[in-house]
Amino acid sequence: MRVTDHRIVDLSAAATARNQSKVAELSAEVSSGLRVTKPSDDPSAWLTAQRGRVMAALNDGSNQAIQIGHERMVSTDGAISTLSSIVSQARELAVEGANDTQTATSRAAIGAEMQSLFETAVSTANTRDPSGEYLLAGTQSLTQPFDPATGVYSGNATARGVSTDTVSSTLGTVPGSKLTATSGVDILPMLKALADALNTNDTTAIRASLTDLDTAVKQLAQTRGETGGHMAVLESAKTAHDQLSIRISESISTAVEADTVAAASDLAKASTALSVSQSVTAHVLQLLDPTK
Amino acid sequence: MSNLMSLLGMGAGGIAAQNSGIAVATNNVANANTEGYSRETVSLEALIGPPLAGGVRAGDTSRYASELLASRMRTASGSLASSTASQSAISDLESALTSGTTIDTRFATLFSKIAQASATPTDTVARDAVVQATRDLVTSINGQAADISDARHGADLRIGDNVPQASQLAQQLADANKQVAKTNDPTALDKRDQLANQLSQLVGGSARIDKDGKMRFVLDNGAVLVDGVHAATLTSALDPLTGYQKVSVVDGAMTRDVTSSLGGKLGADLTFRDSTAKTAADALDRLAYDAANAFNGTHATNAALDGSLGHSMFIAPFVVTGAAAALKIDTTLDADSDNLALAGPGTAPGDNTGGMALYALATANVASGGTEKLTDAATGIIGKLGLAGAEAKSDVDRDSMVADNLAGLRDSLSGVDTQEELTNLARFEHASSAMTKFVSTIDDLLTGLIQAL
Repeated sequence: MRVTDHRIVDLSAAATARNQSKVAELSAEVSSGLRVTKPSDDPSAWLTAQRGRVMAALNDGSNQAIQIGHERMVSTDGAISTLSSIVSQARELAVEGANDTQTATSRAAIGAEMQSLFETAVSTANTRDPSGEYLLAGTQSLTQPFDPATGVYSGNATARGVSTDTVSSTLGTVPGSKLTATSGVDILPMLKALADALNTNDTTAIRASLTDLDTAVKQLAQTRGETGGHMAVLESAKTAHDQLSIRISESISTAVEADTVAAASDLAKASTALSVSQSVTAHVLQLLDPTK
Repeated sequence: MSNLMSLLGMGAGGIAAQNSGIAVATNNVANANTEGYSRETVSLEALIGPPLAGGVRAGDTSRYASELLASRMRTASGSLASSTASQSAISDLESALTSGTTIDTRFATLFSKIAQASATPTDTVARDAVVQATRDLVTSINGQAADISDARHGADLRIGDNVPQASQLAQQLADANKQVAKTNDPTALDKRDQLANQLSQLVGGSARIDKDGKMRFVLDNGAVLVDGVHAATLTSALDPLTGYQKVSVVDGAMTRDVTSSLGGKLGADLTFRDSTAKTAADALDRLAYDAANAFNGTHATNAALDGSLGHSMFIAPFVVTGAAAALKIDTTLDADSDNLALAGPGTAPGDNTGGMALYALATANVASGGTEKLTDAATGIIGKLGLAGAEAKSDVDRDSMVADNLAGLRDSLSGVDTQEELTNLARFEHASSAMTKFVSTIDDLLTGLIQAL
């Protein structure tokens, strides 16, 4: 085949251009750490990575919701724990107040202490979360659920769900109805009644409250157990989401990220090839220079 | 003496013939870098020899060229121009649609914000975040609809620019046929080949040399663009049905629509405008329409913060066509995130069943006629474009390789090798010098003879 001097120059120039392009491509890959930067680089890999990114964003939403639900459950558990403690203290005061050695005056003093405990209990039961919602109000979370004067519950019995993914959910709140007669005894009004009985020196009522206080202790323990169960489900969901998040990151990384060691090695080879093709081009031009 | 005079004439003829060789070799070197030039050669013809006279004369100048190769090169350059134009157009649109946050990620972010707001349905900050994500999604969809529309109009403008150019080339090709018929000059043949090549790059098609030596250029659907010295006109006019230009071949009173049968750059832009980008535009419209209706359908049956029902998230487009550009966030939701329906109907404001129903749309098949998730449909729009881009890139690589191989074959046959031409030049120079010497010797003999008389 006849090969002209122009063809030789064209071929060596084309080889240099190809090598330059390869070096530029590999430099970008090494510096960005990405093998696929746009869909046409590798449509299948881009689709895998993009679906991963979408899944990561959805997972992040569920995870945030689970996190919020978990924090609320922790706060709820803290409030119920405080209430348990208050009910235990109330029982001690009731036992003390029921004692025949007490006088009306000393009972009134115990009653004052009981009133204080009642107020703390109401305040605890009316705890709000960071967004301002009442923790134990059911879904009527913008309204204070327990009357500060009487302790009567005005919320509802609906627990709010938390999406653990787009199709599943678990309970993310504990309604204050768990502290009412529907689940045992109406705890806060009972505490108020005890304080009143102590203040009015009503020993019959004081003694009668002991049974309700025992029921309340069990009722709170059961509610706390349920809360703990919900917390465990949320923790488990969070762990699953964290693991999914890691798997998604790995999947995205595998699909679009460059093998930097291999890319660096290829870059070195391409740089050498470019250098050689530049030398060849210079040599060809010198060789074919008609003035020499 | 008469013989000496004949020899003198033979010498003069020889010098002229060798000088023709020098002229051709010089012309070849001078055109070594001329695009489309085919090296030329002069045929030296020996004249009838002694005792009559003998000698040499320069015949016609001809070029080294192959019509078969030229035909293959036209096809290859048409394909390369088409795939290159296609890749460029798709790559531009791909960059526009993937710069910044993509629509599928916008959908995912909206669902993510809905999930978070559902966990704290009365929290204004969380509700505002959902409204902002809705605004961002609408802005993205509107922006991408504009990007696709711009890309289609850009292709339409290029079509409008290239049609008159193709028409002009067709006329020039007909003129070149006229010139070739007159002179059969190698340079005119080169010029005609080049014009045909340029025309192929613009419109595809094919050309052949008829028996009368004239080139005939035909489009892929059989429409004749150049027939000998006559050229038809390629015109473009706005099609009121599509809003884009359609391309026709006008030959006298006959007009033939060739919009769907052009190759080359015009074919690539037409395919991009009417197929690749249109598919993306239609899919985006469908997605916007489906998304608006799916969100609105769920949203309207749930309760806003004040318990009211019937609120929308989007101002839903009435028809699929143009839905992406027309999509807007509902004005009442835009004004106040309290109108976000996160609670179930008839429930308290802290209920989040409405929000969870909205979140469930993330994995519901509500797009593409109920066959796909919204996020998958959104990813698919760019994914299909990426696939088309990868195919176009592969086509460019293939067509470049074919064109390069054919360029090598052409160069092998028609290319000027300066070293070879310098050798030819030296050969003709030496022959010319020898003939000059010969003439000088005869001249001396004649002078001596004349002086001796």
